[in-house]
Amino acid sequence: MYNANEFVDEYESYPLEDAENYHYSARGEGDFSERGAHYPTYSIPEEVKKYITYFRDAIRDGNVYDIPSLYVDFNRLTEEYFKTQSWPDVEDLYGNKLVDQQDTRDDIFLILYRELYYRHIYARIQGGPTIPQRFESYYNYCNLFNYILSAETPVPMELPNQWLWEIIDEFIYQFQSFSQFRSKLGKKSEPEIEMLKESPKIWNVHSVLNVLHCLVDKSNINRQLEVYTSGGDPDSVAGEFGRHPLYKMLGYFSLIGLLRLHSLLGDYYQAIKVLENIELNKKSMYSRVPACQITTYYYVGFAYMMMRRYADAIRTFSNILVYIQRTKAMFQTRNYQNDQINKQTEQMYTLLAICMVLHPQRIDEVVQSSLREKTLAEKMARMSRNETAEFTQCFTFACPKFLSPVPPPFDSAPANYHKEPFQQQLKVFMDEVQQQQQISVMRSYLKLYTTMPMEKMAAFQDLTEDDFRNALLCFKHKMRNIVWTKGTSGLQGDFQSDSEVDFFIAGSMIHIADTKVAQRYGDFFIRQIHKLEEVNRSLSKVKVSGCVPRGSVDSPPLAPHLTSILFFILTSIVNHDAAYVSNDMVRRRQNT
Amino acid sequence: MAEQAETMRSTVASMLRGIERYNPENISTLERYVELQARENTYDLEANLALLKLYQFNPGTYQNTVACQILMKALTNLPHTDFVLCKCLLGQEQMEDSNVKRIMYLHDLLEMCQFRTFWNEKDQYANLTTNIKDFSDSIRKYVCHVITITYQYIEKQVLSQLLGNVDEAALQAWMSKYGWKVDEDGNVFIANQEDTVKTKNITEKIDFDSVAGIMAACR
Repeated sequence: MYNANEFVDEYESYPLEDAENYHYSARGEGDFSERGAHYPTYSIPEEVKKYITYFRDAIRDGNVYDIPSLYVDFNRLTEEYFKTQSWPDVEDLYGNKLVDQQDTRDDIFLILYRELYYRHIYARIQGGPTIPQRFESYYNYCNLFNYILSAETPVPMELPNQWLWEIIDEFIYQFQSFSQFRSKLGKKSEPEIEMLKESPKIWNVHSVLNVLHCLVDKSNINRQLEVYTSGGDPDSVAGEFGRHPLYKMLGYFSLIGLLRLHSLLGDYYQAIKVLENIELNKKSMYSRVPACQITTYYYVGFAYMMMRRYADAIRTFSNILVYIQRTKAMFQTRNYQNDQINKQTEQMYTLLAICMVLHPQRIDEVVQSSLREKTLAEKMARMSRNETAEFTQCFTFACPKFLSPVPPPFDSAPANYHKEPFQQQLKVFMDEVQQQQQISVMRSYLKLYTTMPMEKMAAFQDLTEDDFRNALLCFKHKMRNIVWTKGTSGLQGDFQSDSEVDFFIAGSMIHIADTKVAQRYGDFFIRQIHKLEEVNRSLSKVKVSGCVPRGSVDSPPLAPHLTSILFFILTSIVNHDAAYVSNDMVRRRQNT
Repeated sequence: MAEQAETMRSTVASMLRGIERYNPENISTLERYVELQARENTYDLEANLALLKLYQFNPGTYQNTVACQILMKALTNLPHTDFVLCKCLLGQEQMEDSNVKRIMYLHDLLEMCQFRTFWNEKDQYANLTTNIKDFSDSIRKYVCHVITITYQYIEKQVLSQLLGNVDEAALQAWMSKYGWKVDEDGNVFIANQEDTVKTKNITEKIDFDSVAGIMAACR
């Protein structure tokens, strides 16, 4: 069982100074393009200087109230001054006397500053980070987590939840980026390969897992969540560290981090298991960072889909897509966080489309119409016709960027080594699609009848009765999957079948049951009536000179009349419809 | 002797907590546990997945025979999707192994419910199946599950075929296990499906609350 001291020991041999042993041309000499252009020492813009000083002081003094707005300002200043160039690096800060090298009070500020600095390089700098920069960023995260985890009492630091989430998110993202970078040996130079070979411990999967598990353990977050969902007070089990907001939220975000990491490595069971104390279908105090929510639902939905729990996947995606529709305005500003959210939204729509093809069922109206609007309707049609290329394309777009947990064999890596994890997951998915190929054809035949002898239907599809029977059994088997019904653990569930079209076999006759959904008029009319009321209300407030405004005492209001007329139409349609449908049912039963 | 696997279960469970599950020193214990499961017909999905994950993190330790055993055990837990979960943790190179490929073929047959083919060809896979205690019976359990969800009544002959052409005594044993009785026509009555499988008409229900506001405004 790892404890905090072991964590410290592992990294003791990597003090920050060692970074200088890695060769990169000292600033001022050599090629600027290697490190990305940046402002030379003497010209950091005044506003930026002021910002950095203010920020440094806020961290020094533990000024909790200013930090959130300072964090937001970082993005604003990035847009203004550092759109394609890196922020001043720490050397520049020393040079400009913004930070004193000897003053240990600012150590933690520098760690936080570097976190933002490297994150910006990953996101914005053309060509991405250099290998030394990747290493330095890793050491910086080690220092940060070391500081947080090996303290004897909770550190006196409070950062906004958004930042805490982004630290964990970025930490895993940089690991992901490095793993993929490391696997692409094709275009690397000899010295680069040597550098990678010599540093097996950097961005090692065990270190990343260790950080996440330590944060989870230190904060007692699992116990806290257990108590929280049963209505108790989490503070009673939190322990000294867990009560502190920094640790609690880092613990929670680490659970999501583990969900993501396990999914990237193909372990879907473990991915859902780590969330077993989080009730996904409930709003809670823990779920206030939208980016975190969206990432959670994306990975959970994807894991369910790979586990063939289509109903659960569809429910998961629908829930979050409805939420995103309602809060669309929040994600309009252009920054890289919103870009990621928007991309994940697109991916989730695609995954939802795949699940709906494999397991048609009713979903929320709003989501249904969004699916129709986007080009997904065409893709869904192609997938229903068993065009495997379309499945492959959709999966490729929507899946996470899978990783291998181990470095490539540097001397003998096969050509597309970095693509192998993805190829493996794609193969598993396509095997499943292959096994289900006959099902959509069956479904369309089944929809046409209420009863039918087996041999007749087999003949329609050009199959022997034996093969046809197998196909029917397969249909039943594949449409009956585990669906979550209750409890917090997402892994739980019972076998259920929510298929629109269902059947059973009696001897050699098939009896088919279909689900007919009546047209929904009520919702539409109610919405329109409310809208009309509103329009009328605003109209009555408009004063036109010389005329008596509507809704004034003298003239009777128009809207209530219209409203009651619409209401009357509505009720008569609904009544008529019900009668129509039951007649239709009788007619169908009479046709065998 | 079935207790051996059960006592191991709690030991193994504690090995899988937290960061310990990534400790490569657990590999030999987990391998022994797989062997026990195969011998005594017990099953522990989490332990098996943890072992496959350790193989993934430490490719040099991969044991093909153990991996094949895990896959075969996963087949015995159909209709659960354990086999798919295991596949996701293997690498492409490992999937190229001839035994793994053969097991995947069996999996395809079973998932697509091609039971007659499965029973016909099963003997060719004796080298894989003999190590797994009660393998055939576990598959028959799966077949019965599929029959239960599909049939109201089934011809006795068809039933026997799907179960692998078992003799009369065995057939009677399976039928009594699931409470299936033979009716007058010689068919085996499975379950009354008419209650669960029937046409659903989803009509719109407009409740009072949604129109209450409108009705109030109509005054």
